[in-house]
Amino acid sequence: MNAAYEFVTGPLAWAAWGIFLLGSGWRLYSMRQLAMKKDASSWAFMDLGFSLRSIVNWLIPFNALGWRKNPVMTVTTFAFHICLIAVPVFLVAHVVLWTEFFGVSYATLPDNVADIMTLVVLAACLVFAGRRLGQKEVAYITTGKDWLALVIVTLPFLTGFLAYHQVFDYQVMIIAHIVAGEIMLAAIPFTRLSHMVFAAFTRAYMGSEFGGVRHARDW
Amino acid sequence: MKRILPLLMLAALVCTSAFLAVQTVMAQDTITKLAPAAFGKLTRPPAVFNHDKHNEKAKLEECVVCHHGGADGKQDKTASTEGTPCSDCHKVKPAGKATSLQRAYHKQCIACHRAKGKGPLACGQCHVR
Ligand code: HEC
Ligand code: HEC
Ligand code: HEC
Ligand code: HEC
Repeated sequence: MNAAYEFVTGPLAWAAWGIFLLGSGWRLYSMRQLAMKKDASSWAFMDLGFSLRSIVNWLIPFNALGWRKNPVMTVTTFAFHICLIAVPVFLVAHVVLWTEFFGVSYATLPDNVADIMTLVVLAACLVFAGRRLGQKEVAYITTGKDWLALVIVTLPFLTGFLAYHQVFDYQVMIIAHIVAGEIMLAAIPFTRLSHMVFAAFTRAYMGSEFGGVRHARDW
Repeated sequence: MKRILPLLMLAALVCTSAFLAVQTVMAQDTITKLAPAAFGKLTRPPAVFNHDKHNEKAKLEECVVCHHGGADGKQDKTASTEGTPCSDCHKVKPAGKATSLQRAYHKQCIACHRAKGKGPLACGQCHVR
């Protein structure tokens, strides 16, 4: 078991981070090349002011028209994304590992708060799944890729919760959790999760087009 | 009868002091978990550590492997300090670059387990609920 744990926290962790960082860089670079070639006119309109204006306005809950249209999804989406990022970054156990491996340490969330935030992520995943199944207009455009992204995100939180509470075999669960987290990292550039990398640029593009060309708001 | 009472008292005294002496030498054999008061209320279940069984199983005969000495930021790996709690020298929130109490335990325990390829490495193997 020690050998398996060493493998998933060593070589496999390096591989996952490498694929995530290099993959994201490569996806951004190829998207930029594509945009410059296929949409050179819009490229010329890219504007930092309009970009930031759109990003900031969409970051405020219920500010954009799109947010006001669907309050349940807005609350779920904001809660989900905040917990999704904050829990893994500020979890005590993860910071203990940063300290163990690299000697760095920083602020953490209390364990019981992180526990509740994990449940928020899992509950949000259920809401997303229910929407894809139950809401006709969403079910219609749902593909296997959407389900894959949802499963990839759910697993690290589910296994992490079970490992923390030491439900089932701990040694198996902790290794499953680490592998699930690594799959998620490595999958970000190449699945629907790539919106993590592209979201800001998508908004910047829309913001610049609406602000600079149509002289309108895009929120 | 007159001679037996002082003899009994002497015997009792010898027994008590022998018991106390054994107590101080053998105190570590009663350790099964680590929950030093210095942390205050623990946020995790106390780490399992059956002192004597652990060291027997791990074949650790030298006490100084864990009970090192040192002062003023310099570790002394030759001075044995068994009986002195780690928290006497390692503070929960140390000043500067000194090794914190949590880090001291984690580093010492996990580094050896890693090196030997045996013994717990993951949180829940030590902090058993
Ligand atoms: C694997 C590391 C390790 C080894 C080897 C080791 N100890 Fe310990 N010992 C500990 C730890 C950890 C504690 C708890 C100290 C603390 O938490 O401050 C402890 C505590 C003690 C205590 C204090 C008991 C009490 O109730 O406060 C004594 C006495 C002691 N050890 C003696 C020894 C002796 C004698 C040896 C060698 C035969 C030895 N130890 C070897 C790790 C070790
Ligand atoms: C008599 C004082 C003293 C006691 C008791 C003591 N230490 Fe230390 N220890 C030091 C000093 C001094 C250093 C070096 C400065 C530092 O790293 O803070 C040190 C360093 C360390 C280090 C870092 C070593 C490295 O390679 O970076 C670890 C780990 C450690 N101690 C663990 C423990 C544990 C666990 C215990 C209890 C079983 C313990 N110490 C008891 C004084 C002590
Ligand atoms: C110098 C080396 C060394 C140090 C220091 C050390 N260990 Fe170990 N530990 C071992 C070895 C070797 C084993 C595996 C023994 C075996 O199964 O053969 C082990 C096994 C264990 C086990 C499993 C025991 C079992 O019954 O299977 C626990 C729990 C443990 N260590 C806790 C600790 C804790 C807590 C500390 C720090 C206070 C610590 N160890 C420090 C070498 C060490
Ligand atoms: C080899 C055994 C071992 C492993 C593995 C281990 N710890 Fe510990 N940990 C200890 C010991 C020993 C202490 C000090 C005594 C105690 O608190 O039980 C400690 C103390 C702590 C403390 C401070 C005391 C408290 O409860 O607030 C925290 C927090 C902690 N560990 C978290 C973790 C996390 C998170 C992990 C996994 C990333 C981890 N530990 C892995 C042995 C271990």
